[in-house]
Amino acid sequence: MKENLLVSQLKSLRELEPSDNWVSFTKERIFAGEPEPMGLRMGLMSFFPVFKYKLALAPIISVLVLIGLFGFTQDTIPGDFLFSVKKMTENAQVTFSSSIEKPKTQLKLANKRLEELSRIAQNNQVGNLDPAIKEFQSNIAQATKDLAAFNINVTSSDPSVIRELLAETQKMMANKEKVESVLGAIIGDTNELDSAILQIEKQTAAYLIADLERRTLAESDLQLLDQAREDFNAGNFATSLEKIWILSNK
Amino acid sequence: MSNSRKIYSQVYDKYVKKIYRFVLLKVSSAEIAEDLTSEVFMRGWQSFKANSDKIENLQAFLYQIARNLLADHYRQEVKAQFVSVEYAPPLPDDKQDLEAISFIQSDMERVKAALVNINDDYREVIVWYYLDELKVPEIAKILQKSEPTVRVLIHRALHALKSELK
Repeated sequence: MKENLLVSQLKSLRELEPSDNWVSFTKERIFAGEPEPMGLRMGLMSFFPVFKYKLALAPIISVLVLIGLFGFTQDTIPGDFLFSVKKMTENAQVTFSSSIEKPKTQLKLANKRLEELSRIAQNNQVGNLDPAIKEFQSNIAQATKDLAAFNINVTSSDPSVIRELLAETQKMMANKEKVESVLGAIIGDTNELDSAILQIEKQTAAYLIADLERRTLAESDLQLLDQAREDFNAGNFATSLEKIWILSNK
Repeated sequence: MSNSRKIYSQVYDKYVKKIYRFVLLKVSSAEIAEDLTSEVFMRGWQSFKANSDKIENLQAFLYQIARNLLADHYRQEVKAQFVSVEYAPPLPDDKQDLEAISFIQSDMERVKAALVNINDDYREVIVWYYLDELKVPEIAKILQKSEPTVRVLIHRALHALKSELK
């Protein structure tokens, strides 16, 4: 027999195959008793071994409901049923702020209350007016308290934070005036806050003037620094600071 | 574990027919071939899930299990030949014999029968080289022999098969 013929006859033996039924049955038998590959469902079951699958979904659903609730409460105003939930998130915001950021956060919240007061006035929601004013006063009082506790020993890392704090204060004062003119009434005493802010302005300006005096400045900048020093000596700390910010940003 | 199972499942699909044929061409009984092939993959799975990282070549690993099982099977068969005549299968009658002869007349059956009769090493290399189309280096790995030795073995195996078919 020729080799080619023999090889082709050998290759015809490839037709020898087991039945498909036997192949699949044997495969099943090999893996019988072995755990199934873990899918999403099995993964959840192993993550919550004590609970059943549906119960394992309960915490996930709860978290989603809470997220939805917090989102929904952002539109509430003082006096509303769900405002307390919104306040909880705001309190958490303040708690997690650093000591230097706390007064700024409180002032931001005070600004928020003023915006809410504007909405209340526009929509004539008389019932919400009193709770909103109380919330605003509470924020101002807390901001004043935080500012009093604020370490006034200004360092090189503080001026930018203080600048934001002063900007927030100015914004709050402007908003307060607007709301008071709409309502025709004084909504809160800010004297203590004003004096606390004044103290911070004074300390910051003094620190920055001393800092600029150590630098080599151009003739025009020296003139601006002189003006800032004059404002400072006259007790106009805010005006002095405005000039100092210009020099500091150069 | 689940990953091992997935990989071994793919290995099973890829090699089950080859291993079955390899066994069948030695034992010449579909039933015995099925039993032994099933045992090959059972043992393979036990080893694979325990030490999958130690198995370098899965094909060689499965063929090696099959060779060991075939050797065990024939050792047991030799012992089983000393059974009482009461348990011996009845002799085939003339009619059945004629049918068997006509069946064996086909080329495929002739080659199959010849393969059963030649040396085990020869039969193995013929199956691997001509049926499963394994390369010489792959066969050398399974047999743990050098490639030139395997080439010589294939040449002699084909020659032995030719002689058997004469």
